[in-house]
Amino acid sequence: MSFVYAYQPLLDLLLINAGFALSQYVVLRAGVFSIATPGIVAIGAYTAAIMMARHGISIWGAAAAATAAGLIVGYALSIPLARLRGPYQAIATLAFVQFVIAFAFYAEPLTGGAPGIDNIPKQVSTLGLLCCVAATVYVLSSINQTRLGRIFDALRQDEAVAASLGISIWFHHALAFALSGAIGGLFGALQAGYVYAIEPQQYGFAMLTTTLAAVILGGRRSVWGPIAGAAIMTTLPELGRSLADNRLLVNGLLLTLIIIFLPRGLVDGLLFMRDRRNDRAARDQASLKIQKTAQP
Amino acid sequence: MTLDIRNVGRRFGGVRAAEAVSMTIEPGQIVGLIGPNGAGKSTLVNLITGVLRLDSGSVVVDGQDVSEETVVGVSRAGVSRTFQNIRLLRESTVLENVALSLSRFAQVSTLACVLGLPSARSEQRDIAARAMAFLEQIGMASFAHYRASELSYGHQRRVEIARAIAQRPKYILLDEPVAGMNDVEAAELGELLRTFAGEGIGILLIEHNMGFVYSLCSRIYVLSTGKILAEGAPADVSRNQLVIDAYLGA
Repeated sequence: MSFVYAYQPLLDLLLINAGFALSQYVVLRAGVFSIATPGIVAIGAYTAAIMMARHGISIWGAAAAATAAGLIVGYALSIPLARLRGPYQAIATLAFVQFVIAFAFYAEPLTGGAPGIDNIPKQVSTLGLLCCVAATVYVLSSINQTRLGRIFDALRQDEAVAASLGISIWFHHALAFALSGAIGGLFGALQAGYVYAIEPQQYGFAMLTTTLAAVILGGRRSVWGPIAGAAIMTTLPELGRSLADNRLLVNGLLLTLIIIFLPRGLVDGLLFMRDRRNDRAARDQASLKIQKTAQP
Repeated sequence: MTLDIRNVGRRFGGVRAAEAVSMTIEPGQIVGLIGPNGAGKSTLVNLITGVLRLDSGSVVVDGQDVSEETVVGVSRAGVSRTFQNIRLLRESTVLENVALSLSRFAQVSTLACVLGLPSARSEQRDIAARAMAFLEQIGMASFAHYRASELSYGHQRRVEIARAIAQRPKYILLDEPVAGMNDVEAAELGELLRTFAGEGIGILLIEHNMGFVYSLCSRIYVLSTGKILAEGAPADVSRNQLVIDAYLGA
């Protein structure tokens, strides 16, 4: 049991990072190159922190409000960004993240300025985090098992084809933005309710790269990809602690190796191999059936 | 009940890509569109399907004016297309490519999909089953579980056409469907197109393979520098001096 207690903080951190990675994953899955997640996480975290620290509202209410705020902001972002694609989308959403951070710095009466907000009551448990990750995984795997998964796949691969088949690009991109926003807002609130204090800097470039790296490492197709990626990105710094200053070097090397040898990401790379095998089996079965029916 | 292209015009700077082009395609008819490279054939497809805006004229599908519609709107009005350079979802299987074409008929709400309700899951299974049935009908069931990128060129073409036809359009525009195919593959595709026409689908066939066009089409339009140069039965068009000069050669 002592083992579990020793690693519980790490597990909690992993679950929070997994939530951020899942928020980033939804948009990439649908072919939207938005990196707005840190900005939306910040909005969720500040919403929850203000409600909890200043108005004594419980985490339940705060998390619900933060989720709703994330959903609305995510949807609102999709409107001006509908005409942008690829790197332009990335740059525009990066500007959004910078704007949110700047707002957090300068709107002192509301956000507490540079020192941020402290004295947030800690109301988030490991179990609570687990339940929220599980609920998110459920929703996202539901998407993968219904038509939305196929549509997101199509939008990611070639949106002109999707449009020519009568599928609305605008609607499904807005849906991805809104879902990403809701997930980001929720986990922003959970983080605020876990760490006692939040400040603007923590939603900056470092979070952006960690979150993006988690999805690229783990994979963009399966829900488990970003979770595996978040696990790697969370535990690597801990495992490499003894390497001291060489840590970043080892991190970088490992990431480079995965990207070279498993370009689809860890989970997707493995699933791709499995799918190939299943396809082959299904083919063999189909041709067997054809042979059988061909025989008199 | 026709696909009417009425006096369609479009210019890019000083270039008239389409000038007062008028065409009519009836259900069950295979109509050819031929012309030299750069005549504006693919541009015309893009104008009809809403990829490009019209400067003038109109496109009418069974009485419904779709001139101002988006790509999605034209598709939903019943006009499908294939692309000059094959555009399949290469990472997806043949079955998934065809199933995608059916997903716009889905009845279950988006919310039900997000919540993973049984109705949404069973609908997806139903779509996959219908896509499989369609592949069986056109004799391509054995390819269902191949990734699109694993297929030969000719088969990729067939899948792209199958994907466009699976959603039962009223009209389909095929942009050079037999380019790069050998004679056997082209003949097979010709048979398939006749079957679809027999089911009442109106087909516009853009092709350079004249043998293929003559064998399938009841009527042919000849496009040159954005204008209709001639139209008529294959035999008439092939004897037309203007067409011989502009395209066919002596």
